[in-house]
Amino acid sequence: MRIIIKKIAEFPSNFQSYFRDWISTFRAKVTVICLIGLSLVPLLTQNPYFLGIFTTFMIFTIFAASWDFLAGFVGQVSFGQAVFLGVSGYVTAYLIRYLSFPWWLSLVIGSIIAVIFGLIIGIPALRLKGPYLALGTLAMSLIMYQVFLMGSLATMWENAFGTNLFGAEGVSQITPISSDTVVEYFATFLIMSVSLLILTHITKSNVGTIFKAIRDDETGTSASGINTTKYKILAFMISGLFAGVAGGLFAMRFRGVNPGVFQPLYSFYAIIIAAMGGLATISGSAIGALIFVFLGEILRDTQDLSLLIFSIILILFIRFAEHGLLKPTLERIQELWDIVLGR
Amino acid sequence: MGVILEVKNLTKKFSGLTAVNDFSFEVRRGEFTGLIGPNGAGKTTLFNLISGHEKPSSGTIRFDGRDITGMKPHQIVNLGIARTFQLVRSFRFMTLLDNIAVSCLSPRGKKVAKEYGIDEYASSILAAVGLVDKARIPPIILPHGDLRKLQIGKALGTNPQLLLLDEPFSGLSHEEQKGITDLIIKLHDDGVTVFMTGHVLRELMHLVPRVVAMHQGKYITEGPPQEVANNKIVLEAYLGKGSEQLA
Repeated sequence: MRIIIKKIAEFPSNFQSYFRDWISTFRAKVTVICLIGLSLVPLLTQNPYFLGIFTTFMIFTIFAASWDFLAGFVGQVSFGQAVFLGVSGYVTAYLIRYLSFPWWLSLVIGSIIAVIFGLIIGIPALRLKGPYLALGTLAMSLIMYQVFLMGSLATMWENAFGTNLFGAEGVSQITPISSDTVVEYFATFLIMSVSLLILTHITKSNVGTIFKAIRDDETGTSASGINTTKYKILAFMISGLFAGVAGGLFAMRFRGVNPGVFQPLYSFYAIIIAAMGGLATISGSAIGALIFVFLGEILRDTQDLSLLIFSIILILFIRFAEHGLLKPTLERIQELWDIVLGR
Repeated sequence: MGVILEVKNLTKKFSGLTAVNDFSFEVRRGEFTGLIGPNGAGKTTLFNLISGHEKPSSGTIRFDGRDITGMKPHQIVNLGIARTFQLVRSFRFMTLLDNIAVSCLSPRGKKVAKEYGIDEYASSILAAVGLVDKARIPPIILPHGDLRKLQIGKALGTNPQLLLLDEPFSGLSHEEQKGITDLIIKLHDDGVTVFMTGHVLRELMHLVPRVVAMHQGKYITEGPPQEVANNKIVLEAYLGKGSEQLA
């Protein structure tokens, strides 16, 4: 943690040269073009339906990136990412609905609670490895689902506080970030850009080096004098933070949450998206989420089929494109770019 | 020249099998010691116990006067004991520089490394083990000899006082062995205490002034290699009973 602080402290002094180095790379140019492109979308259409799809796409990008960070960079494959999404979604929704907190404060508190859940999941997860970790986190999300679905808890809570929290209905009628979808779009856009920037920066920092070492060889990392326990908990907390951010935005975007958000289905969505974009890329999640959300919209009328189709897509990706879309696409674009410039 | 490592009555049992049996020995600061014994003698288990990767059933290990029995591997590394593994371990998808940088980021390594900068310090270690020209490639494409060097580099990143080398020569060609030998001698000259294993006597004979012999988890004898090699029990352990005549 001291390492992060040091990095940030160094940041402003050589920011200009850092930025100049960064922008000269091909990846950086593509990133900037994509960001400008996304910020121009509201100029093309102000149709709330279309902007809504884009907002959803950006929320899923953050969510999948948080999973990709944990699985791709730290090697901790979690099937319980939905826990973070749900917890933060519930907290954010509850604060907005019943305590009239402003949306940003609710989002911050919701994400912090998700970080605490990252800690809670992280500690038992230290004893579990590989498939057992996946099963443990899967069980965790099923427990949360059942707890929030429980009718007896719902009545108890209602009698005690006079509000709805548990029960199948969940927390509904949340006011969104803004009634203006363009404002909602840009707020989400900003949060997504910052989230991806921070996640990418972490993976390139010294802490990121340690995370990757844990992924490649945990015993070897401890033999290098690293307290792997500490760093694994830190990784779960970081992942929880960003999944929590996605969860809060998710609750506001869909005007409410119900126990369904804890379903393993949502963890599965994060995995599909990250796999389509490419593991251990962070920004690959954006490509994955774009395909996922738009395809989901197209298949809206045949919802029963959509999961089947996504599962088939996942299998195809694992078989034929295990590196996902981001890296190969970037390589193709670069080749094309070189041809255009006549190199 | 005090005692740096003191192992006393160390025992490790794996459900019925006693891998290390009431083992005691000492290593003095600055010494260059070998541990010999045939395959399955318990050398690696002994290393695992000292480095904290396994917990002893009984007995104590003291490092620099401090009881380290039962400590976690990373705590022991940060006190100044670094080790390498018999089967090479590396961070496969990271560059060699980052492989070393991980050790330099450990609390003990960082104390030294941050004066020079992590990357600069890691490159200087790569230079010391003779891999600096391969700093930007991942270990998956390295030959075995270079992986052995990388192991030692990773251990050096933690700035160790005592270096435990588990079979540093296994699977190497003669020239590669020479490279590693030179490297180990250089490290020892720089003041690192070295304790290494080997199951082939010949490699160790020329290198170390003192060896400890181990057989079936038990301490047998110690002394100059020539003397130990002629010990009756050591010969029996390597060649079987009735082999004195052969030798």
